[in-house]
Amino acid sequence: MLIEITELRKSYQTGAITFEALRGVSLSIEAGDYVAIMGHSGSGKSTLLHLVGGLDRPSSGHITLGNLQVSTMNETALARFRRSHIGFVFQFFNLVENLTVRANVELPALLGPHRTRAGARLRATALLEQLDIAAHANKYPREMSGGQQQRVAIARALINEPALLLVDEPTGNLDSTNTQAVLQILADCNARGQTLLMVTHDPRAAAEAKQVLFIHDGRLVSSVPGGDPQALAQRLAALQ
Amino acid sequence: MRAVWTKIKADLTHRPMVSLLILLTIAASATLLTLATATLTNMSAPYDTSFHELNAAHVWLFFDRQVASRGDISRIEALPGITASTGLRPYVLSRVRLGDNAVWVSLRAEPADRPTVNRLLITAGEGLPAGPAAGQHVCVLGKELDDLYAIEIGQAARVTRADGREVALPIVGLAYNPMWDTYRTSQPPYVYVSEATLRELFPDEESWGWSLGLRLADPNAVTSLVAQVEELLGAGAVTGYTDWRDVKRAAAFGAQINFIFLGAFSGFAILATVLVIASSIGSIVLSQFRQIGILKTLGFTRDQILWLYLGQYLLLTAIGVALGLIAGSALAPLPLKSVAASLSTAYRPPLSPLLIATVLGITTGVVAVAVLGAAKRGAETPIVLAITGGAEPVHPRRPARWGTPGGLAMPIVVSLGVQEIFSRPLRSLLTGVNLTLGVMGIAFGLTLANTLDGYRANPALLGIVYDAAATRYRMSDRQAQQLLSRSPGVEAVYSEYQVEAEAMAPPSPGRTFSVRAVEGELDAFPFPITEGRCFDPDRYEAIAGRGLLDWLGLEVGDTLTVTFREGAGPAVGPAVGREVGREAGRPVSWQIVGQYTEPADMGQVMMVSGSLVSRWVKGVEPASYFLKLAPDHDPGALRAHLADRSREDLNVVFVDQTLPDAVRTLQLAIYGLATILIGIALINVFNTSLLSTREKVRVIGILKTVGMTPLQVVAMVNVNAACLGLMAAAIGAPLGFVFTRAVLRWLAHAYGFGPIHVLLDARAALLLVPLMLLVSLAGSALPSLQAARASIVEVIAHE
Repeated sequence: MLIEITELRKSYQTGAITFEALRGVSLSIEAGDYVAIMGHSGSGKSTLLHLVGGLDRPSSGHITLGNLQVSTMNETALARFRRSHIGFVFQFFNLVENLTVRANVELPALLGPHRTRAGARLRATALLEQLDIAAHANKYPREMSGGQQQRVAIARALINEPALLLVDEPTGNLDSTNTQAVLQILADCNARGQTLLMVTHDPRAAAEAKQVLFIHDGRLVSSVPGGDPQALAQRLAALQ
Repeated sequence: MRAVWTKIKADLTHRPMVSLLILLTIAASATLLTLATATLTNMSAPYDTSFHELNAAHVWLFFDRQVASRGDISRIEALPGITASTGLRPYVLSRVRLGDNAVWVSLRAEPADRPTVNRLLITAGEGLPAGPAAGQHVCVLGKELDDLYAIEIGQAARVTRADGREVALPIVGLAYNPMWDTYRTSQPPYVYVSEATLRELFPDEESWGWSLGLRLADPNAVTSLVAQVEELLGAGAVTGYTDWRDVKRAAAFGAQINFIFLGAFSGFAILATVLVIASSIGSIVLSQFRQIGILKTLGFTRDQILWLYLGQYLLLTAIGVALGLIAGSALAPLPLKSVAASLSTAYRPPLSPLLIATVLGITTGVVAVAVLGAAKRGAETPIVLAITGGAEPVHPRRPARWGTPGGLAMPIVVSLGVQEIFSRPLRSLLTGVNLTLGVMGIAFGLTLANTLDGYRANPALLGIVYDAAATRYRMSDRQAQQLLSRSPGVEAVYSEYQVEAEAMAPPSPGRTFSVRAVEGELDAFPFPITEGRCFDPDRYEAIAGRGLLDWLGLEVGDTLTVTFREGAGPAVGPAVGREVGREAGRPVSWQIVGQYTEPADMGQVMMVSGSLVSRWVKGVEPASYFLKLAPDHDPGALRAHLADRSREDLNVVFVDQTLPDAVRTLQLAIYGLATILIGIALINVFNTSLLSTREKVRVIGILKTVGMTPLQVVAMVNVNAACLGLMAAAIGAPLGFVFTRAVLRWLAHAYGFGPIHVLLDARAALLLVPLMLLVSLAGSALPSLQAARASIVEVIAHE
């Protein structure tokens, strides 16, 4: 088992009001799985992704990745955990805009001690070629299209060969052509053995996953296989 | 406009840290501006101010008692053109012992009641007692004595009475007399007593000298009035007179070094304030491009955006200026009271309608220009670009290595910190300018302080080439010269008398000026020659101060033809200003062979051989002597020897007594002002570091997402700040020195001071590097820790 999530809860306090984003979520993900999480805005899907990736801390519950207890790590340990075991892909790419494409991709590799500059350079070059953006290596993010930027983000996420790729609305900011291309890249990653956990409300994207979990009001409410966008759309609509 | 006002309130209240920092910057700038303006106000025409406030006499006449009568005084007071009189003021030349020092003074009767003409400015203690206490035998000393002998109120001045016995008079106060000529080597200091006390000490009125102070309808009619008086009383009745214009000129020289240094400080402070406000406010508005883009999507027009930012910052400016005025007014007395005292004028509190208007006007104007410039740029940027690109898009044509942390061959966090500087050149430039201004401020303060130290340690830079000066009163010139040259510790002596000369030929015929006629062992005195060479005592050669050359339109190498005024030398004994009864002599030509640093009359003085002048001017003898002392001389022993052998006829002043008054007081003021300037510069550096780090929070969030640890975040942010701090130190220190030197030289030239030796201690300058490192790190430490602890989700996901 790669990820084991047990009774995960997350609440936010705004003045006297407490908002419960997650209300006891439990799930398991095997290594090599491709899992999509669908839900409406405010359902808690992004919160779940952030907690799994160590970007935020749960109010209660446990997250285990391999034999690592994510929920009990301190800030430094979490940073090292993210660097080594997690790759993030965001809707708005979140590239560092004053670094070139190559520098953005190499960055996570250079933050840790386990890869040399030359090693990082080699790995980045390979990824850029693999994702068909090697020609843009010396450009800056602003000089590229949204689809190209998302590929850079994926390359950056893969540079340290993480066990888990966390993908947050990867196609939300792309046109249909780039959407297809990015989804294909993610599928290829999974085909090469990469574990993917993707948050989306796009049935076409979710359909690429092997398993789709539906989350509503902070609770996992159902789980279905991927493949049929229409069926996923209907199920999502039924959550209203 | 309601939407604009709502947004203004929201921005100010929901970002308290940023609002506070802006407020701090404006308040600090307004404080500095208040101090600078207050300094200029207190420096402005100090003599004229005192003269006006004390209703000083335009001329003091000194009479020969054998010729003049009391009736003559009344006739003089009735002359046309005289608007007020002090009435007859008797005085006696007497010896006074102050501690271990015996000094010749002019003991003057001063009315206890506040006179209408030529009042004294009490600078310490109190004036002579009035009313029932008027019978007490006490004295008030001229502040010139305090400058020389560090008087303490309450100590006794032991006055030698007419019968030779000493009487102790308690000193109740110190006073500035607007008509005491500050050129103290030729005039005895004043001690003020009541007429009753004078009578008690010197019962024989025949021993009294008479003086009379007059105010004139035309202040420039002094010479014609003296001629009128001579005509009225006959030749010889008036032995001398003090012209208020001479005193003013002498006072102007005394204040000259203050003008130069404090003027430079004020000029720099105003410039720094303008630049600090412009760069700080400009960069803060520039950092809000994303918000401007969002507001435009909501329908804000260009004008509404301009009003939004203008409203916010003008509101903060109003509060900041009020705080700055309060802080500046509270701090101003620390340095400026001593400045006012050294300028012999009353300290003027800075808060005046003009000052408030100046500070408010400059601050508001600069804030408005900076805000409008940056906000206009933001408002005109396409919405998408503003939202996605923020303040400054990354420059696409930079060398690739700046965009590649690995390309800098440094640890990644260091590399990212350095790279950040070059990726946004405009933002870095603004931050850098702010930091550099801070360093320049510090370098400015250090340079002023070091330069003053240099002048204090080496008075020759001021043109003072002797170690001590002596003035004789009753003994002859020959006796004085013999005594001085044979005294222990004296290596060389030269004597001097001054004569009035009038330029005869173009380019400036008719202009009169002072000539120093010197003779003796001149080779032992290294007159600072800044151009050409020193004169040959056996030839008709002269050296001149820069002020004189400029005034007469001459250069080194030119020949100047002058006539000397007969009888224009200082009187032997108590000099009382110009002598009367002068007539023009025959013209004589002098070749100007050099320019020297002349410490009097704004440099409008010429120095020539005394033995040659005596051929042209009859009846003058030196009364002033300048001594070169052995390095191991004992000042106490020398003073005692001279007092003993001269029967206390010689007034001796050592250079370390004469210099400190102007320089020490100024140094205190400069230290005070420099400390304030440095403090404000450090606040600015801290602010700048803090603000520039806050702007990077989003990027830091991304870096944390991809695995940057909190320690790495702190390191990266601090490397960035440290690099900017170091660059600012590297650029600001030499720039500050060069700027200060240029300003001081310009001011020195403008005041006729001649070349000024600007110094900066290299060790102090080098200390700027670690100082800037510390300050930049202090400025970035707090935000870097905040950034390291910030929630990634809040920064990234909610962007």
